[in-house]
Amino acid sequence: MNNRIKEYRARFNLTQEDLAKKVRRETIVFLEKNKYNPSLKLAHDIARVFDSKIEEIFLFE
Amino acid sequence: MKKAVIVFIVAALVLATVGLWIFSSSGNFKPADIASFGIIILVVVFAVFFGVKRLTSAKRGEPPEDELSKKVMRKTSSLSYYISLYLWLAIMYFSDRFNYETHTIIGIGILGMAVVFAVCWLVINFTGIKNE
Repeated sequence: MNNRIKEYRARFNLTQEDLAKKVRRETIVFLEKNKYNPSLKLAHDIARVFDSKIEEIFLFE
Repeated sequence: MKKAVIVFIVAALVLATVGLWIFSSSGNFKPADIASFGIIILVVVFAVFFGVKRLTSAKRGEPPEDELSKKVMRKTSSLSYYISLYLWLAIMYFSDRFNYETHTIIGIGILGMAVVFAVCWLVINFTGIKNE
């Protein structure tokens, strides 16, 4: 599974710290590097920050 | 925050015990003692690193634990337990070949388990957990 978190973060002008409210910054780093697949809840929370759907941010292959 | 403080207290107690050990032995160290000191210091450094990481997260306003850190801890625990079984098997196998006392062998095993845990945590924490 790939994701477009980095791209969306740049689009919304957010830092990794801004996104790390419910999770640690390291988790965001791992997510952006595609080294971690988030839980459905975390994916939902991230999608909500960007006001988007989960499938727009997380790309299932 | 609470866990970080507990980690620092335990690390300080371990260092104090090592200090007492060094003080009471009055400089008569065998190579095995020096190796033990080294491993204990290594484990304490790991514990302090772990505590500092938690404190830094708390200062940034981040949660000290999240789903990734819990997964890392779970995977580290299972992997280090698995490796520790082989460690104890190896210790049992080699115990006949060395003339160490039983308490020394148990001490080596416990220190070995701590080192295995620390190494597993470092590897899993820095490589990440993918597709799980």
